[in-house]
Amino acid sequence: MASQDWIQHLLNPSPLQLTIAILLCITIPIFLHTSVFNKSGLTTLPSILLVGPSGSGKTSLLTQFERGTAASTHTSQAPIAVECSLPVSSTAGSDKYRSIHDPTHSIHKKFLLVDTPGHGKLRHYALDTITSPQNLRGIIFLVDAATLSAGDEGLRQTADYLHDILLLLQKRSESKTGAKALKEIPVLVAANKMDLFTALPAALVKSSLENEITKVRRSRSKGLLDSGIGMDEGDDEKDDWLGEMGSKEFKFKQMEEFDVVVEVEIGNCLCDEIFY
Amino acid sequence: MLDSFEILTTSGVILWSRSYTNNSDPSIINSLISTVFIEEKTLPGAGVADDISAANNPPFKCDQHTLKWTTVKELGLIFVAVYRSLLHLSWIDKLVDNIKTLFVDLYGDQLKKPHTTIVECHFDEYFDQQLRELEKTALNQDTKSAEASALLEKAPPSLSGNLGDEPPLLPGLLSRGASKNNWKDATSNEYTPTATPDASRPGTPAGHLLTAKAGPGGSRRSRKLANTPSTHASSGDETSAKKRAAKSKAKKGRKWDADGLVDDDSDTPLDYSAPNGATSGEDDGEERAGAMEEIDQKTWGSKTGKGQFVLKDLDDQVHSMLASADAEKSHSTAAPAGIVGSSISAIGGLFRNVVGGKILTKKDLDKAIKGMEEHLLKKNVAREAAIRLCEGVERELIGVKTGNFESVQARIQTAMESSLRKILTPTSSLDLLREIDAVTSPSTLSLQKRRPYVISVVGVNGVGKSTNLSKICFFLLQNKYKVLVVACDTFRSGAVEQLAVHVSNLKELTAREGGKVELYQKGYGKDAANVAKNAVTFAVQEGFDVVLIDTAGRRHNDQRLMSSLEKFATFASPDKILMVGEALVGTDSVAQARNFNAAFGAGRSLDGFIISKCDTVGDMVGTLVSMVHATNVPVLFVGVGQHYSDLRNLSVKWAVEKLLSSNQ
Repeated sequence: MASQDWIQHLLNPSPLQLTIAILLCITIPIFLHTSVFNKSGLTTLPSILLVGPSGSGKTSLLTQFERGTAASTHTSQAPIAVECSLPVSSTAGSDKYRSIHDPTHSIHKKFLLVDTPGHGKLRHYALDTITSPQNLRGIIFLVDAATLSAGDEGLRQTADYLHDILLLLQKRSESKTGAKALKEIPVLVAANKMDLFTALPAALVKSSLENEITKVRRSRSKGLLDSGIGMDEGDDEKDDWLGEMGSKEFKFKQMEEFDVVVEVEIGNCLCDEIFY
Repeated sequence: MLDSFEILTTSGVILWSRSYTNNSDPSIINSLISTVFIEEKTLPGAGVADDISAANNPPFKCDQHTLKWTTVKELGLIFVAVYRSLLHLSWIDKLVDNIKTLFVDLYGDQLKKPHTTIVECHFDEYFDQQLRELEKTALNQDTKSAEASALLEKAPPSLSGNLGDEPPLLPGLLSRGASKNNWKDATSNEYTPTATPDASRPGTPAGHLLTAKAGPGGSRRSRKLANTPSTHASSGDETSAKKRAAKSKAKKGRKWDADGLVDDDSDTPLDYSAPNGATSGEDDGEERAGAMEEIDQKTWGSKTGKGQFVLKDLDDQVHSMLASADAEKSHSTAAPAGIVGSSISAIGGLFRNVVGGKILTKKDLDKAIKGMEEHLLKKNVAREAAIRLCEGVERELIGVKTGNFESVQARIQTAMESSLRKILTPTSSLDLLREIDAVTSPSTLSLQKRRPYVISVVGVNGVGKSTNLSKICFFLLQNKYKVLVVACDTFRSGAVEQLAVHVSNLKELTAREGGKVELYQKGYGKDAANVAKNAVTFAVQEGFDVVLIDTAGRRHNDQRLMSSLEKFATFASPDKILMVGEALVGTDSVAQARNFNAAFGAGRSLDGFIISKCDTVGDMVGTLVSMVHATNVPVLFVGVGQHYSDLRNLSVKWAVEKLLSSNQ
């Protein structure tokens, strides 16, 4: 009956076992809590993405938001997210219906500004952020207004990139399933460097970008297929036409159909005021 | 002289900078970043780039300026020194390295904060100190022998020392006596370290040990000094007093009783204290590490205790920081692990390999990287390119912590994917149609005249130049361009007839679509460059949109044939020179691409590759990578079949997937 003794001993209420049991009961939930909740964080801050070709002033704008004065910068190689807060006077869109006497009014104003490198080889950072966004609220597309004159290489590069971004947003809104509606993402085309003599005014920036995107759209539709398509099956025919199907000219207005509002504003990073 | 020195982050923000010229051009550093870091045109020093010193990184030359740089990977920092190429600054590597050590030491924790770009730094003084010191060193060096300069590299010039027994002595004064070990060269400036052999090790232990050497007399003396502020100083043992004076020469504001007396003596005894110093240094070589540790502690204490640093203290602080960094390095390299310790760490390592959160070292990576290299070689990537890619991945991964439940292999896989993607992605958009449009119908504002867009195709024999040329022609005809095909292969019999057949086929195929194609040929035996030139003028007269020039195939290592390409490039001045390379070729692809890229003279290079016969190699598309690796020229098209329509743009995602897929 040794085994029975052993079992009896095991099931006996001894103070040691009791303490072990109590300790386990207390520590396991605490352990789980800390290990699980530390990872996820409470909420991710609403983030705004800065995109644009290299040298358009993204990092400069970022530092302007963070410090109040623009720091001198060089070509970026890595993305960076910076926690910024809205100016005291302005009210966040999410706080529109909140009373100004509400104590929570003064918080909830922080947001993340995400800077991405604009170099041709490094744009995947920006594109990845758009395809798998974490609480993405808006995109600021910076352009260098001084390089947008017709026939300029800068205009072509810029339009190419803007076309890619808008196409990505369009695909995103098309692919959304009914159950999980995605938030609309407004795009602000910010024409930077307005202090320069050769900079174009906002209306011209808008029209020249629209014209150039029209060209991009046309040549993309006529261009060769990508090497992946047609070789391996399963890749269904993708519709890569940006904006309204069959339209002759591309207008930013056409993007509203896909919950993408595009606005063009001007400003420069050197002065204190940034247009919202 | 130095033009400027900048400390910036990989995200592009300048943390600290100093400029000695009025208009420092930011484009110089921008070009460094884009060529070296992003496009990787010049390879960084082989091996582990993490702790690499500026001397091992190749200097970057740009527009009369030379840039010396170094990086700190985990903090994402870049340190760049810019100076005129005419100057020969021997100390610049040392400066960059020292500044790196100091900056990381001082502001490392600030840099690790997330979501901010602000770093509070008051780095000016530190930089000035370093610069002054190294310049002085350099001046001295000129007069010294060469061998001394070699030793100087290793010597932290001066160190705060000889304070083993002093803090109780002088509680109010925190000035750390800069014990310059200029025993021999007493007349030289006080910042100047001597490059005597005994100075090749840090000065600190020497100073420290000297007091010890002096025996109990020294310490007793100091106590006596503290207690009796009178003329006792000179009364005791001559040598020890003088030695002390020599050591503490640089101290300012010390309330020494016999001030004048000691100062007067300070120069004379230096001569005979020198052998003393030398012997003591040799004797106590083994104890050096221990002594170093002790000093570290003290300097840290004094640093935190004070808010501001006066110059003298700064000097010592800087030195102690540099010394501690050196000591750390030597510790980490020489740290022997016990059997128990190593086995525990091995088990931990295995566990972490499964669970993740392991900090990768070269040893962990070696095997997996080797495996990855083999894999790439199997995919027909040239060895040279495979080694470069693997070294890049290794450099990127050493010191990185793996994520949760992420094995080393998976980490390497993702790193390789991103570096493949980076190498294959073109720097700028490659939309051929828009480029043609820009040339053939320029906008009215940009004062350019309408002219045809000239594309020429070069390559080794039999890779499919004519076939790919007709594929491009077909593509252009579908987009309603007027195309002139020029037969510049005036060498191989049947080449012109072959093109004629292609052209007549294409005419038939696209007659309905509205394209127009003509053949321009002058028979055999003519000079190809002249034919091309005449063809372009002909196309201008006749109003063609695009001129496609076919050339004779040539072996890339045949100097006679390749030399004619330069003349061809200047005569025809093509907008795009495309090289056709076949996917079947293996290691030779690197040499092919290099030689063709260099064949067009100094101002001209290839504009793109067409990789033909991609359908025949399955997923062994390594040639893509090899050719781009060799030249940094993007792949424009890939040929994927026998028909005119089997021409594709390169999809980077597709190529990367093929290269990394493991099924054979």
